Amino acid sequence: MKKTVDVSIPLGPMHPCWKEPVRLKCETAGERVLRAEVELGYMKKGIERIMQGRPWQEVMFLAERVCGICSVVHNMVFIEAMEKISDIAVPPRAAYLRVVANELDRIASHILANFSYCYTIEHETLAMYLLNTRETVLDNLERLTGSRINTAYMIPGGVRFDLLPGDAAAMLADLAKVEEEMRRHTRIFETGPLIALRSKGIGFMSREDAIRAHTVGPTARASGVEDCDLRLRHPTYRELGFTQVTRTEGDNFARVMVRFQEVFQSIDLIRKCIDTLPEGPIRGGGFCKAGETSYAGEAPRGELTYTIRTDDYGRVVDIAIRTPSVMNIEACAHAMIKDAASIADVTSTFISSDPCIACNER
Amino acid sequence: MTGYLYEKDLRQMKYTILTSTKHDETVRAIAERLGMSDAKLRMMLIRRFDMSLLENLESRWQMGQRHANDGDPVAEELGYELFTRFIPLVDTETMQTIYSDTTAMTQQMPFEEAIARGKARVREAIRP
Repeated sequence: MKKTVDVSIPLGPMHPCWKEPVRLKCETAGERVLRAEVELGYMKKGIERIMQGRPWQEVMFLAERVCGICSVVHNMVFIEAMEKISDIAVPPRAAYLRVVANELDRIASHILANFSYCYTIEHETLAMYLLNTRETVLDNLERLTGSRINTAYMIPGGVRFDLLPGDAAAMLADLAKVEEEMRRHTRIFETGPLIALRSKGIGFMSREDAIRAHTVGPTARASGVEDCDLRLRHPTYRELGFTQVTRTEGDNFARVMVRFQEVFQSIDLIRKCIDTLPEGPIRGGGFCKAGETSYAGEAPRGELTYTIRTDDYGRVVDIAIRTPSVMNIEACAHAMIKDAASIADVTSTFISSDPCIACNER
Repeated sequence: MTGYLYEKDLRQMKYTILTSTKHDETVRAIAERLGMSDAKLRMMLIRRFDMSLLENLESRWQMGQRHANDGDPVAEELGYELFTRFIPLVDTETMQTIYSDTTAMTQQMPFEEAIARGKARVREAIRP
């Protein structure tokens, strides 16, 4: 411990504002935070080890259980990695339905992240509004997949259930309601004087720092990192004319605003998908083969990479998962929180990077 | 009061992070680049880095190889950017001193020999 430190303040592992346990150790001089360290290991699952040696039919369910907030994208990336190994084609209708499920999951995740942030800066009214809106999104995820959290919607070569015309109409009506409510919440966030005081210029991370720590997702996009959204390279998203949301401020406000903007973008993508949903089957054929691949997809928090090796029987011999929170939490501790002007800003800055400890401790 | 009331020994957990498949490959690559043994480098990483930085070691190494462009052969060989900003094993002032001395040495002796001496000093700076 350096002599310059006045007090060493531990935050966590249990904290009222944090969804999951993690310990932040802050060394302070007066009110200023000199540096911060992250202590993990409170909820290690060892899920990668559990996956090894199991058939893909079991691993696809385990992949979802890495994280409860972005479970759909874990399912999607694992299945798309298996399809890449096995050269399995996906019917166009199934590809579009995958986008619908993935974007509903993204909306739910972004709203939850912004709820956490608003709760942390003591704007509980807006936090509860957001949580209320999230329920409608989860209802629609249930309407499409039959489940709110662990959906197991995607399978190699397609999806499990079709979207019926009645459900599609109901989903569009609900999305219109969600959009209207989110516009109101975004306006409250953008124009709130309390929010501006607690968010603008706080937890700044430069573009260079973001690149050095390989920051991904909305955290990187809020610091002005271009071309870091993997949806730009995904064939279905390219068909839908996807463009990346980017801001340059690099502070807490920008990170939350990027997520708000991405919610509207996701609603537009779902609308496009439903309006231009191709006719045809929702499942193709194919067998899972032996092979090895590294496949990345865009989770709500950023780049999610699955490195998989399978054998001839479709068993997962080896698997490594690199989740976006690994990069974002590290960048948050060593770039955003370091040299923070006040210890009071540490919690809100940490939450603004949308840390997912369940993803980090696989 | 400058210390914490309750502290866990994190060495075992840090070691577990470093011995996972991807991280092990990264540690071996860094050790090879520095010319030191894997075990010694692991010990230094466990001592200096917190758990999140160790988790992110692989990504930082990748980004360092992609973006750490010093534009100078001496800095490139020593890993001026790589081992200060991407993987903070050496503090910037120490690395600046090593870089200046090595640059001066390249005028007096063959380039490879000067770089070898510079790398030896980088290794010394990494060790406590």
